[in-house]
Amino acid sequence: MVAPARTALRADRLRAVNVPRPVAVELNAGGEPTLFRRSRDNGDGQETKAAVVEAILQSWRVDDEWWRQLISRRYFEVALEGGGRVVLFEDRVSGEWFVQTA
Amino acid sequence: MPQRPTSSLAACVWIPLFPLRCEEARREGLVTHPTALLAPDLSRKLWQVSPLARHTGVRPGMTVSQAIGLCPTLRLCEPDPVHYDERFARLLAALNEVSPVVEAGELGLAYLGTDGLEGIFGPPKKVVEAIECAVRGTWSVRLGWGKGKFAAWVAASRAKPGEAVIVPAGGEGKFLSAQPIAVLPLDPDTHRRLRQLGIRTLGALAALPEEAVTAQFGAVGRRLWRLAAGRTVEPVVGSIAPEPIVAALTFFTPVGERDLIERAIDQLIARALKDSRRIGWRVQAVRLVAELESWGGDEDGGRGAACCAPTNRSWLVTVLLKDPTADGARIAAPLRTRLEQAPPAGAVTRLILEFTAFAPGTTELQLFARDAVAAARAGQRRALESAAREIHQRLKRTCLYHVIEVQPWSRLPERRYALIDFEP
Repeated sequence: MVAPARTALRADRLRAVNVPRPVAVELNAGGEPTLFRRSRDNGDGQETKAAVVEAILQSWRVDDEWWRQLISRRYFEVALEGGGRVVLFEDRVSGEWFVQTA
Repeated sequence: MPQRPTSSLAACVWIPLFPLRCEEARREGLVTHPTALLAPDLSRKLWQVSPLARHTGVRPGMTVSQAIGLCPTLRLCEPDPVHYDERFARLLAALNEVSPVVEAGELGLAYLGTDGLEGIFGPPKKVVEAIECAVRGTWSVRLGWGKGKFAAWVAASRAKPGEAVIVPAGGEGKFLSAQPIAVLPLDPDTHRRLRQLGIRTLGALAALPEEAVTAQFGAVGRRLWRLAAGRTVEPVVGSIAPEPIVAALTFFTPVGERDLIERAIDQLIARALKDSRRIGWRVQAVRLVAELESWGGDEDGGRGAACCAPTNRSWLVTVLLKDPTADGARIAAPLRTRLEQAPPAGAVTRLILEFTAFAPGTTELQLFARDAVAAARAGQRRALESAAREIHQRLKRTCLYHVIEVQPWSRLPERRYALIDFEP
């Protein structure tokens, strides 16, 4: 791969993109997310924002890397009330929920 | 049309791998690594290769994958032809301080006419020292001095970096005879045929009868023979900076709206750039004059126009471009800024645009200009780099990133891409 022009490629300067952020999720009877709360630091302290799931657009599962550290996730691509689309997933190993951009 | 100045005594200034040297000059640490420059076309093949890279077997014309296969630590650089041309133009301008007769060759190669310079600097050694002084600190050049461009070029090609070879007057034949035929402007086929005939040096070629060489190689052979025998003395042909180029526009009704004035400026720049005298030159200084609507003494306390003659008013802006250019947008930008900061104090009746100073262009730039895609790409890159530098200066941190593929096939979104700082 050709390095970007005039920029030496060094692994220590790489920044991750679309890192999953932990969220608190409310589920319906079928185990699907209906609402999630995201906390973030706004400088004066933690601010929590809630987003209501309007529709689940699609869902899928990823089970991978069982030969080293198992990755097992249940993904939901959801439409939010008031607009917006995100991906929520449940880490089936730890039981935690995360949000990512779609 | 004035005759172009010529000079039979010539000094040759040569900086091999000039574009690569430009990259090394602006990117620290590059000089210690095997480096290659990509071709400015879309072939993505190697254009120039540093000696360190060449040592590993990397050669110009190879594909990137071939080169990386041979040298995994190879540093690849995207070409920036506009930057190389600007650096070369600066070099020519520096040489112009020594001699008014400067002829540009390919990038990194220039000839100076030195006829008459002995009266200013002294013997050829002193002339060469003056040239070295003019470019010292910026480049490590190879210098050659002799009668005619060919002798000067061969001398420069024999010189070590930072040194000079002087061919004394009358000693051209002796000097040239010992040189390999590779110094001649040969195509590969002629080179091969000469070697098959056992001709290795200019002396061996010159020893043959001129008619025999002409019969074998045609007109090209005759020229080569005459160069090898020192019978041809090609003079350095300088260029004359064009007279100011003027374009003017008269408005039917006085114009006060800035948008209209800006549009008129764009038109005038385009018209002036098209002037045939501008070909081969880039604009360095621009003068914009606006003749403003004249008025009498009405505003002066209402004493009546009869007692005050109409006053001619004008507005003048002079801009010196740091980087000489032939790009209309880059010429217009500082004029627009001045128009915004200090607009004319009245409606404009006539606009006059003058290109008053020029910097020499190069044949190489014209070559690149034919490749519109490469030129556009280089322009975009320069604009991006300039914007990135400005942002970094203002915010003291990098806010621009390249998106690079890490594992684009991954089923986990966060592993597909990563960001890396964009540092021009």
